[in-house]
Amino acid sequence: ACLGCRAVPLLTVTVSLAAALWARPRRLQHEGQPGRSDQPIHMENPYKDPPKRCVLCGINVDYKNVQLLSQFVSPYTGSIYGRHITGLCNKKQKEITKAIKRAHVFGFMPIMFKNPQFLTDPKLCNIKHPE
Amino acid sequence: TPRFKMAAALKRTVEALMERGAIVRNLENLGERSLPYKISRHKERHKRGGYFLIDLEAPPSIVSPMMEHLGRDIDVIRRAFIKHPLAKAEECGGIIPVSPEEKLSSKKN
Repeated sequence: ACLGCRAVPLLTVTVSLAAALWARPRRLQHEGQPGRSDQPIHMENPYKDPPKRCVLCGINVDYKNVQLLSQFVSPYTGSIYGRHITGLCNKKQKEITKAIKRAHVFGFMPIMFKNPQFLTDPKLCNIKHPE
Repeated sequence: TPRFKMAAALKRTVEALMERGAIVRNLENLGERSLPYKISRHKERHKRGGYFLIDLEAPPSIVSPMMEHLGRDIDVIRRAFIKHPLAKAEECGGIIPVSPEEKLSSKKN
């Protein structure tokens, strides 16, 4: 009894200190909130790669720049490479084809061969691609 | 002189265009070069030529009479009219991956 009388103030002090230091464990905190469940939150994959772009994505295709058009034409026969060889998206492949046919008709680009001036251009199409 | 001939031909063309009510905005010279292939026109085989681009605003009914007019001109080797290529919005967002079910379905594009 004596111990208790004398130790009361001490006890109270210690209790309050401990309360400040002792953080309530997480699971007890959440139990109090009934709306939230611990299921995973639905969100779009944040580690997704940006969409793949073809070589001409964002470049304006014109029938006048024969150099660009000649990069998608065979140097031996002058025929236009297909989609599986150029690796372009549908839209750009169509644009290139239309531009090349226009350049042929208007007299900008040779038809049966590739302009020898542009033979040493960087190669964009892999000719050895298996169909 | 060939330069004088070209200048005269251009003048004729632009005057004919303005006569039919076209508004000529710009005239560009794309240079004189050897043609990619020999072109026979007006009983002559041409190897060199000058390229010109005329920017104009006109009703579509002007196309056929102008093509006839240019066909009669001896100095014009090849003529063509195209719609003005408007600067399209560069919306290319890259290749969107298509799921295999869509590829197998018979929907076109």
